[in-house]
Amino acid sequence: MCRHWPLCIALLFPVQALAFDLDDLQDRLHDIPGLAGQFEQQRYLADLDTRLDSQGRFRYVRDERIVWSIESPVEDRLEFTPDSVSNLADQDNNDTRENQVASLFLQLLEGDWQALDAHFDLDLNGNANQWRVTLTPDSDALRGRIVSIELKGAEFLERLELHAANEDVLQVDFSHQHVIETSHADGDEAGHVDDA
Amino acid sequence: MSTTPEYDKRARQLATLWLLVLLACAIALAWQLRDGLPTDTRLTAMLPEDRQSPLVEQAANQLSTGFEARFVLVLSSPVLKEAATDLARRLENARRGDPDDGRPLLDQLDWRPQDLADDDPRESLDRYRYRLLTPAIREQIDSGDTRQLVTTAMRDLFSPAGTPRPITDPFGLLDTWLNERKGNRMTPHDGLLTVTEDGRRHALLMGRLASHPYDLEAQRALTDTLQAFKDERPDASLMRSGLIFHAAAGAEQAKREITTIGLGALFGLVTILLVVFRSPRVLLHMLLPLGGGLLFALPLTLLIFDRLHLLTLAFGASLIGIAIDYALHLQCDRVAHGARFQLKRLLPGLVLGLVSSLLAYLAQALTPMPGLRQMAVFAALGLLGAWLTVVLWLPRFALPGQPHAARLAEWLWHWTTPRRRLSPRVLILGGGLLVTLVATTLTVNDSLQLLNPSPPALLEEEQDVQRLLGSDTGNRFFLVKASSDNALLTRLDEIGDTLDAWRDSNDALNYDSLANNVPPRSQQRADLQRVRQLYGTPLETLVAQAGLPEDTIERARASLQDAPFLSIHEWLASPLGDLQQRLWLGKTSAGDMAATLVITGTNGSNMDQRLATLADRHPGVTYVNRAKHLSGLLGTWRQHIAGWVALAVAGLVPIMIWRYRRDAWRVLTPPLGAVLGVLSLFAVSGIPLNVFSQLGLLLVLGIGLDAGIFTVEHARRSSTWLAISLSTLSSMLAFGLLSFSATPALHYMGLACLTGLAIVWLLVPWSRPTATVAIREISHAE
Repeated sequence: MCRHWPLCIALLFPVQALAFDLDDLQDRLHDIPGLAGQFEQQRYLADLDTRLDSQGRFRYVRDERIVWSIESPVEDRLEFTPDSVSNLADQDNNDTRENQVASLFLQLLEGDWQALDAHFDLDLNGNANQWRVTLTPDSDALRGRIVSIELKGAEFLERLELHAANEDVLQVDFSHQHVIETSHADGDEAGHVDDA
Repeated sequence: MSTTPEYDKRARQLATLWLLVLLACAIALAWQLRDGLPTDTRLTAMLPEDRQSPLVEQAANQLSTGFEARFVLVLSSPVLKEAATDLARRLENARRGDPDDGRPLLDQLDWRPQDLADDDPRESLDRYRYRLLTPAIREQIDSGDTRQLVTTAMRDLFSPAGTPRPITDPFGLLDTWLNERKGNRMTPHDGLLTVTEDGRRHALLMGRLASHPYDLEAQRALTDTLQAFKDERPDASLMRSGLIFHAAAGAEQAKREITTIGLGALFGLVTILLVVFRSPRVLLHMLLPLGGGLLFALPLTLLIFDRLHLLTLAFGASLIGIAIDYALHLQCDRVAHGARFQLKRLLPGLVLGLVSSLLAYLAQALTPMPGLRQMAVFAALGLLGAWLTVVLWLPRFALPGQPHAARLAEWLWHWTTPRRRLSPRVLILGGGLLVTLVATTLTVNDSLQLLNPSPPALLEEEQDVQRLLGSDTGNRFFLVKASSDNALLTRLDEIGDTLDAWRDSNDALNYDSLANNVPPRSQQRADLQRVRQLYGTPLETLVAQAGLPEDTIERARASLQDAPFLSIHEWLASPLGDLQQRLWLGKTSAGDMAATLVITGTNGSNMDQRLATLADRHPGVTYVNRAKHLSGLLGTWRQHIAGWVALAVAGLVPIMIWRYRRDAWRVLTPPLGAVLGVLSLFAVSGIPLNVFSQLGLLLVLGIGLDAGIFTVEHARRSSTWLAISLSTLSSMLAFGLLSFSATPALHYMGLACLTGLAIVWLLVPWSRPTATVAIREISHAE
């Protein structure tokens, strides 16, 4: 048996790499009860050929919400839940378009492929240590708004890139991420961002 | 037959001619049926046409049928997401016809929040955004404090979920305006569209049929799919709303009743005839006129009405009873006279019988209800066809002797002839008493429920769903007319303003108006002016705060040039405007523009009164309460029909007196006595009279007259009495069975017929003349 060790390892490795699929990725992302960290967002506005940059912190509790604290250039706090987006000052938001984008945003962060699969073709590349998922809309209606979405990551999601049909591009980079315990997070006041 | 050769020759020619007519009918029918029988199960076909105000009629139709192809399901389940996903899969995979390769049942199914995003109204309304402001934004601009607007615009620029358009719409005006338009009780939850009531969350599934709701295959596919779902998930419950469910229930009921009532009547009839005449050949002769009548009536009715209403078929099945009358009289006379039988002797009775029945039916054809009119035309044509078959063909067939039937006639005569007879004096006294009883205690009912054959449980479900969605079926509305589109919008806007003011004290009151979405030009002009103001300093502040390039301001302002007005047509063509199509009536025949403004969420006659007063204050505005309006019409027509019947009777009396002189009362007692008897029974048992029981009485009158005429024409003949007995029995079988119909209209008609015909049969022996009556001779042909 021992004579075949090198062969075994050689065989095992690519198999393991190949076996990394969307389900595995989802399981992994789903195992994270909560996450806190920093983000850097770049929005390219094609019409004006201009880029708007913003930074801040985020705090994410699985299946519940993500609190988005923009620190510059303006200060603002947003909260996305599966059903709605609201800024903390004005709870009564019924902008359905924004809500849809918000729920899409949450699904992307959670890697909820089942939900995404209903509207996108999903394509996974790479391995467990360096993966990339490309989403292309499968309906004309959605194609009229989104060209593609790209997710890159390793242990956690690291970059989200959304190419809109009007040539605008939204790019969000996540950094300094660390896992937070849900029970701890639940105890916190809504909207509070962990300063780790 | 002892007739002149010349007469015989002419009779033969006529018989051949009738054969040719029926052959032509058969060919026409075959051609009409090449794609199957064009049937119609629409409930609305039963509804009366409003001749006084066709525009009200058009408006009401449009409001009620606007969503014909759509339906809504409200699902409750302990595992809501799983159950909703399961149900959606089943519906999406459902096929019409063959489950494997039939066409899909649905065009579209909306059950996830994303489904509703597919119809993006932004594109079609893009150019009009600068003229459409919500009241809140209008107020903010007017107050000069636009900080909130700038903050919201900033958020849209920097939120990852934002969709900023710094040049075309930096303040997101169109999105705000559109969001206000979508304000309904639907909320997205857990990837489902949901409504919440009393803390309970239900999932919503909204479907659009690929075909129309009267498509029987679509009805079956949908019913089967829902049944299969319920069978597998007993813990889930469903509420349904949509025309297709009512249409399916109606079609199912009509089909069931055609089978039970129609076949039941036919089966009963065949049994009776076989028992009496004991000859399959005679039975065949009896059924021949029936075939002739149907063959004559079907193609002609289809020619006149294009499609055959299922109710006509149900009613047409009852025609069996009358069509066979003539054949019965002929056959019973043959039984009595054997070889000495002569058609000539029977002809006057047969002619009078046909005329009186046709009169009864033609009165029905004058009613303004298309469904009833079709039934009447079908029945009248069928009777004529049956009559011609009897008179032209039956005498030409030789038949075996009928000793058994003759014995039966004698036996019946013996056992049912009363010792005493009615005297006119007793009759007048009794009649007077009954008239007083009827006049004082009989109630009437013109409720619309009569027209609605949907099961009460289904109607309740429909109301529950409508309540959950906060929608309304458009029962109460303003009909608004004006000389131009803009004048119409201004008028709608004025009424809307008053209703808005009322709403402050009554939050249940709501309304749906085109002017809410297409403001009058003056408003659109003022709103553009406000946007210009917003694009001044506030825009400069926004651009500076966000760090956008300077030229954003100029480019944004440039897009305000040539901002077009939003017109009604462009609005209706947009995905959101599609929902308001039902309100738009367009150009009227008088050249006006017309639209409806639908009132929702409030009841009570008090509000009715206020709304009517409001309509009176504005020119070109009418308030319509459809339910009230329709029952008012039903009531009017009930009175009209009563008037027609009275007129028909008044017309018949002189004819009867002319022919039967002092014995005319004997002819009139069975029909009039029966009508009075039915009315008295209704009065005593507290059953209100309605338009349909009245139509039943019309038939009682026709058949009763037949009986009266033959009794007096052939006074002392047992064969006539046998014919009358068989004919009332068969008609009771045919019409009386209708009283078991679950369709209220047919039920009441049947009830009147059942009791009325029984009274006719009871009255005939009492009013029969004791000796042959002196009849004014009609000069027979040669």
